[in-house]
Amino acid sequence: MLEIKDLVTEYGSVKALNGISLSAHEGKITTVIGANGAGKSTLLRTISALEHPRSGTITWKNHSIVGLSPEKIVRLGIAHVPEGHAVISQLSVEENIQMGALFRMRSNKADVRLAISEMYTLFPRLEERKKQLAGSLSGGERQMLAISRALVSRPSLLLLDEPSLGLAPLVVEQIIQTVNDLCRNTGLTVLLVEQNANTALGVADHGILLSLGTVAADLPAAQMKADVALRAAYLGY
Amino acid sequence: MDIFLSAIFAGTSRGAIYALAALGLVLVWRGAGVVNFAQMGQAMFSTYIASTLIAQNYSYWIAFVVALISGGALGAIVDLLVMRPLSRKRSSSVLDSPAMRSTVPVIASLGILGVLQAGAGIIWAAEERGFPTPVNSLGLVINGKTMPFTAFDLFVMGTVFITLIATTYFFKGTGMGLAMRASALNPEVARLSGIRIGLVRTLSWVISGVASSLAGLLVTPSANLSPNTLDLILIIGFTAAVVGGLDSLLGSVVGGFALGLLVSFVNVYDAPEDIFLAILIVLLTVLIIRPQGILGSKEVRRV
Repeated sequence: MLEIKDLVTEYGSVKALNGISLSAHEGKITTVIGANGAGKSTLLRTISALEHPRSGTITWKNHSIVGLSPEKIVRLGIAHVPEGHAVISQLSVEENIQMGALFRMRSNKADVRLAISEMYTLFPRLEERKKQLAGSLSGGERQMLAISRALVSRPSLLLLDEPSLGLAPLVVEQIIQTVNDLCRNTGLTVLLVEQNANTALGVADHGILLSLGTVAADLPAAQMKADVALRAAYLGY
Repeated sequence: MDIFLSAIFAGTSRGAIYALAALGLVLVWRGAGVVNFAQMGQAMFSTYIASTLIAQNYSYWIAFVVALISGGALGAIVDLLVMRPLSRKRSSSVLDSPAMRSTVPVIASLGILGVLQAGAGIIWAAEERGFPTPVNSLGLVINGKTMPFTAFDLFVMGTVFITLIATTYFFKGTGMGLAMRASALNPEVARLSGIRIGLVRTLSWVISGVASSLAGLLVTPSANLSPNTLDLILIIGFTAAVVGGLDSLLGSVVGGFALGLLVSFVNVYDAPEDIFLAILIVLLTVLIIRPQGILGSKEVRRV
């Protein structure tokens, strides 16, 4: 579904991604784990065109998407939830969700309404707070909102960057479980970046371990979770 | 008492124009994240175009519409020719720091102001011209009594009122308005949501250009037209926008009227030389007591 080959992305002279190849399989959760600075976020940012790769290919549904703009890539069904609970604090909860569907408001108004109401079913707390400014939400609620903002575009691939960052374990569990349900029930493909390897490998089908911009291991999630030596070498536990 | 009343009416009418100028500034600030000092230069330019048409015996209303359209077009040109290339250049150069990111467009806008004023000087020989009003600008007579305001004053206030309602509805009630706010607040999240921020920004420059040239058309009858006529309006309009809260449309209008009254009272009860001092005092007082402006939104704190 999503195929990446020999991807190189640089920040100035630093190679954040140094020849990465991987794929995300349809209807599965693929998790990308690794230490700080391994290139996990850069990988997602390059897929959604927030960063431009120096070389390599990104193929989505058999078409190259390198060189397209972020606004075009969303339209092709790839939605990115960037790191840090990316919502717009000065807009209301409702507006943040609507924002994610603006581009297809004219072509399919009825489905946009439906998608928005689905988000409120998924996260009832957002409906209770829909008139509040997003900035007044708790960390967990912001993350729910950021995910809803991405999901109303009805993506087939969800790029999720560190949803657990700064959240209480119970909230993390709830959010990861929701993503898992979505994947299993609707066939959504997920590429999940996490520093919290245990949680991520717990729900994922496949695990990819990044180290200093290269792929250090590419294994079924259960096998990666069980590999004590691998974890000790790259994650420190 | 009569002096007091006429100061109020004169101030309200002036304030309406300041409000329009402030509105134009706030529109580009909210839509594109740029404080545009070239704004009244653009307005001056389109007012000259109107004045030229009127001199060639076209009707006021044709000139009026042409000026608004050219104001919008000028806004688009400024964005496409200057602001957009600047924002592209940034990613790979020294300009890529938060401080530079917000400063560079402002400096560029000052440059554009210079170009527009010099250009107007060359094209129209920097001559001062009068500029007509669409309606009578003598004191209205009701029941045989001359009122302290004119039909033109009423026209100005009506225009500002309609503009405020229309822009507020646009921002709060339409998808494009939401796209515009989102692009200004967080371009990255806006793009990831599928909003074409380039298009959205250009549109906000166009709308602001129209609002500003409207302010130019309405203020020029009382000031005579020259390349520098509207500098004063820019300063007062900018102060009004900051006093009202730079991100609030209603705030900018409230700020505009407040400054209009202030200027009028200083004019009547003190001396015109003190206008700038009074404006500075108001600006500083507001910035100290309420830095976000009268109606500006505070940065929301996280729980």
